[in-house]
Amino acid sequence: MPSVCFYFQVHQPYRLKHYPFFSIGKDHRYFDRDKNGAIFRKVAHKCYLPANQAMLNLIRRHDGRFRIAYSITGVAIDQMAEYAPEVLESFQELAATGCVELLGETYYHSLAGVYDEDEFRAQVALHAKAMQRHFGMRPKVFRNTELIYNDRVGSVVAGMGYQGMIAEGADDILGWRSPNFVYEAADSRLRLLLKNYRLSDDIAFRFSNRAWSEFPLTAPKFADWVHAISGNGETVNLFMDYETFGEHQWEATGIFEFLDHLPREVLKRRDWDFLTPTEVLDRCQPVAPISYGRTVSWADVDRDLTAWQGNHMQKSALKQVYDLAAEVRSRNNPATLDLWRRLQTSDHFYYMCTKWMADGDVHAYFSPYGSPYEAFINYMNVLTDFRQSVLKLKAHKEAVA
Amino acid sequence: MKILMLGWEYPPHISGGLGTACEGLTTALGRLGVGMDFVVPKLFGAENAPHMRLLAPTPAEIAASSPAASSTPAAQVGNRPEAPSGGTPGKSQPAGGTRAILQRLLGTATGAEPEGHARELPREVMERIQKVEVPSFLSPYLKNTPAELSQAIRTRLERALAKGRSPGATEEGKEAVAYGAVLDAFERAGSALPPLVQSLLASSIHESSVSEHYGGDLFSEVGRYAAKVLALVESRGEQGYELIHAHDWMTFPAGVALKALTGLPLIIHVHSLEYDRSGAGADRRIEEIEKAGMSAADTIIAVSYYTRDLIHRRHGVPLERIQVVHNGVYARNTVQSYRDQAKLDSKIVLFLGRVTFQKGPDYFVEAAARVIPHVPQVLFVMAGSGDMLPRMMERVSELGIADKFLFTGFLKGQDVERMFSMADLYVMPSVSEPFGISPLEAIAYHTPVIISKQSGVSEVLSHALKVNFWDVDQLANLIVSVLKYPELGTDLSAMATEEVKRLHWDASAAKTSEIYAKTLEGRRSPAKELNS
Repeated sequence: MPSVCFYFQVHQPYRLKHYPFFSIGKDHRYFDRDKNGAIFRKVAHKCYLPANQAMLNLIRRHDGRFRIAYSITGVAIDQMAEYAPEVLESFQELAATGCVELLGETYYHSLAGVYDEDEFRAQVALHAKAMQRHFGMRPKVFRNTELIYNDRVGSVVAGMGYQGMIAEGADDILGWRSPNFVYEAADSRLRLLLKNYRLSDDIAFRFSNRAWSEFPLTAPKFADWVHAISGNGETVNLFMDYETFGEHQWEATGIFEFLDHLPREVLKRRDWDFLTPTEVLDRCQPVAPISYGRTVSWADVDRDLTAWQGNHMQKSALKQVYDLAAEVRSRNNPATLDLWRRLQTSDHFYYMCTKWMADGDVHAYFSPYGSPYEAFINYMNVLTDFRQSVLKLKAHKEAVA
Repeated sequence: MKILMLGWEYPPHISGGLGTACEGLTTALGRLGVGMDFVVPKLFGAENAPHMRLLAPTPAEIAASSPAASSTPAAQVGNRPEAPSGGTPGKSQPAGGTRAILQRLLGTATGAEPEGHARELPREVMERIQKVEVPSFLSPYLKNTPAELSQAIRTRLERALAKGRSPGATEEGKEAVAYGAVLDAFERAGSALPPLVQSLLASSIHESSVSEHYGGDLFSEVGRYAAKVLALVESRGEQGYELIHAHDWMTFPAGVALKALTGLPLIIHVHSLEYDRSGAGADRRIEEIEKAGMSAADTIIAVSYYTRDLIHRRHGVPLERIQVVHNGVYARNTVQSYRDQAKLDSKIVLFLGRVTFQKGPDYFVEAAARVIPHVPQVLFVMAGSGDMLPRMMERVSELGIADKFLFTGFLKGQDVERMFSMADLYVMPSVSEPFGISPLEAIAYHTPVIISKQSGVSEVLSHALKVNFWDVDQLANLIVSVLKYPELGTDLSAMATEEVKRLHWDASAAKTSEIYAKTLEGRRSPAKELNS
C-alpha cells in the first residue's frame, strides 16, 4: 500500500539589527526585536495560524487518515513564545491529535553538522528536549538543517539513536533509482526518506507560476500524478517549507483550497493513504543501501552547500564563529552559549550568498539586507563585538596588517 | 542608416563622462553598421574615431563648402530653393533675403557696389533681427539690443571693406559667408524655432562678428555651436541623414534648430542634468534650454532610470517619452599593479573626480574623520580639482586628519591608472550622478567600490557597496569594514570584475539602434504612435 508522506519545515531566524562598526564595544544587544516580532506575527497570520487550522480541519474530517509531520526549530519555538504564543498552542493542539509527528533537528537551525560534531550533538539533544517539553514527544526521525546530508552526518545521527533521516533525492546521487522507496545509509542502520523534489516543488515553487505549462495546479491533477506512481514506489515524500501555505504562495493563489481538497483526492484511490515518516519506516523495508559521496542539501539547483559557504566571506564568517567553540564552552555561561548559538543560525550565512545575484532572484526576498556584502559586514561587526566584549578576547588577527 | 550626431567633447582631449560615453556609444554603433557624422565645437588633432566622420566646422570650412564661395554672386540671387513650408505670412522674402545680404556683402567687398550702399544696413537684416524675440529671462546675458546687433554686422562689413579684398580670402569674409548661411538657415527654419533658440542664435551671430577669438560665456559658445552646425548643414546640403542625435544641453539648441530646418526627427540624449551638477543652485537658463530640447525631441534617451525619474520630476516630461540606455564600459586587457612598486604600509581609500558639489567630496571628508580613529594604517586620497577643493583642504585641517589625508590635484593619463590600481577602496559619494563611469574604471583595476544610491551606475552594478550620500555614518561603517575584513574586498572585486564584463557598450548600442528604428517608425505613422 503506497502512501503520501508530508513533512513541513517551520523556522524563523533571529535576525540581527543594523550593527555598524562603531557599535563594537558599546552595544551588546545584537538582535532586532521589533523586526523579528513584526515578521513573526506577519507570518503567523498569513501562514502558521490559518495553515494549522486547515490541517486540524483535515485531520478531523478524514478521521485520522490524513497524517503529517513537522520539524519546528528551537529558535522558532522561542519566537512563538516571545511574539505569538497562540501559534505554539495551535501546534500543541495539532500534536495532540495523534496524527502529527515531530522530527528532530538542531535547535538553532545551524550548520554544526558540517562544522562541529560536538556542538551538533549538543544542539540536537537540546531540540529533542524542547520537543518533549512542549509537545510531549521524542523525535525518532531526524531532519538536518536545509536537508544537509552526507554519509558522515548519517553515521552521527544513527549514533544518537534515530531510526531514520530525511534527505534530498538528488539526481546525481539517485542515478536511475527512484526516491519513492525507503533506503538505508551506507555506513549504518539509519534508514533514509528521500524527498521527491519534482512533486514537492510543484506545490512549493510552481503552484502559482502562470508560465508553468501545468498551471493551474488542481488537487485532482496532483492526485493523478501521485497515483501514477502506483506499482513503482511505496512512499511519495513531499517535503517543503511550511510557509509555502500563505506566505510563499499567498492565500489569493488558492493554495489553501488546493490543500483542503488534496487529501480527499489522494484517498479516492483506496490503495493510497497518508503516513508520517516513522510510520513509513515501520511499514516499508529499505530496498538498498545508498551512499552520499558528496554533501547534499535541498537548496537551489546546486543541491549543495554553496548557498552558505560559497564565497570567501561566508567561509571566513563560519570559520570564525566555530573557532570560538572552546572559548565559549569554557565560560560555562548559558546566556553566552545561547548567544553564540544564535549566531550560528544558517540564515546569517545564507544572506551573504553572492552566487545568485546575477539572475536577480527570489532569494533576496528573504534577506533583511540590501546586499550580501552588507549581511557580511553586519555579521562580522556583531561577531567582533561578541569576541571582544562578551568573551573579552582580542581580535585573533588584526585585519589591517 | 546615417545619423547626424551633435556632441560637445570627444576623447582624448577631454576625458570627462560625456566624451567617454560618446566614444563608447559611437564605436559600438559603428560596429552595428550605423553611419555617423559627429559634430563637436572644436577638434584638437589627437582624436581617434575611424568609425565615423568627426567634424568641427570652422568658418573657413563652411565658406569653402558654401555655394556662395564657388559660384558667382549673381547666380545665387533668386536661385535659392524655397523654404519648405510654414513661413509666417509676415515674412515677405523668406528665401532670397539673407542670401541677398550676403551677395551685397560679397559684392561690396569686391568693390562692385557703391560705398554708400554698404553703409546702409540692408532692411531685411533689420527686419529679421527685430523679429527675434528675446525671452525676458535671457535678457540679463543677452545685453545687446537689435540696434547694437546691426551695428556689429555693420562693423564686420566695414572691416571687409577696409581690407578691400575678396571675402573668400579674408577671415572676415569667410565668417561673413558662414554667418550668411546661418541667417539663411535661421530664416528657413522660421517661426518653428523656440524663442530661446532664436535668441541664442541671434546672440551668436553678434558675438562672432565682434570678437575674433573664442571666449565669452558658455551660452555664447552654445549659440555659436548651434550657428555653426546650422551653417554646416545649410552649406553642405543633403547628406542623407535620417536622424539627429544630440548629446546634452549644450547641443540641444543646435538640435532643435536643425530639426526645424530639416524636418528630421530629433533624439536628445541626457547624460546629465543641470540639476545633477548644481542641485538647488541650478542655472535656470540651462534648465530652460533642457526643457526646450525635451519638448522638441521625438525621443529622449536617459542614461539611467535615476535620470529618467529626475527628468520627469524636474521637467514634467511623461515617463513614457523617456527611454533608458545604460552606459557601457570598455573591457581592459591588462592592468599593471603599481601597488607593489609603491610599497605602502597604509591602505588607500580613494576619491577620484571633480571636487564639486555634485560629486559629494564633503561626505568623503566627513567619513574619513570617522574612520581614521579606528584604522591606524590608512590614507585617504582626494584626486581631482574643482571649486570645492579649497574648502575641502580647510575642512581636513580643521578635523585634524591632514596627516592621513592627501590631495593630489587633477590627475590624468597614467597617473589615473596608477591611482586606481594602488587604491584598496574607491568611493563615489555623488549627490546626484546620472550614470557614473568611474566606479567601473576602478573595478577594472580590481578595486572594490562604494557608490551612492543616488547614481545611475547603482542600477547596473550589484557587486558594490551602496549608501545614501548623506549617510556619513553608514559610509564610514562600510569603509572600515572593507579595511578590517579583507574577505569583503576579495569577494566584491572578484564578483564585480565578472559583472562589469557584461556591461558592454554593444548592448547600449543595440538598444540605441532600436530606439532609432522606433523613432523613425513613429515618424512614418504618427497615428499609430498615438494609438500605441
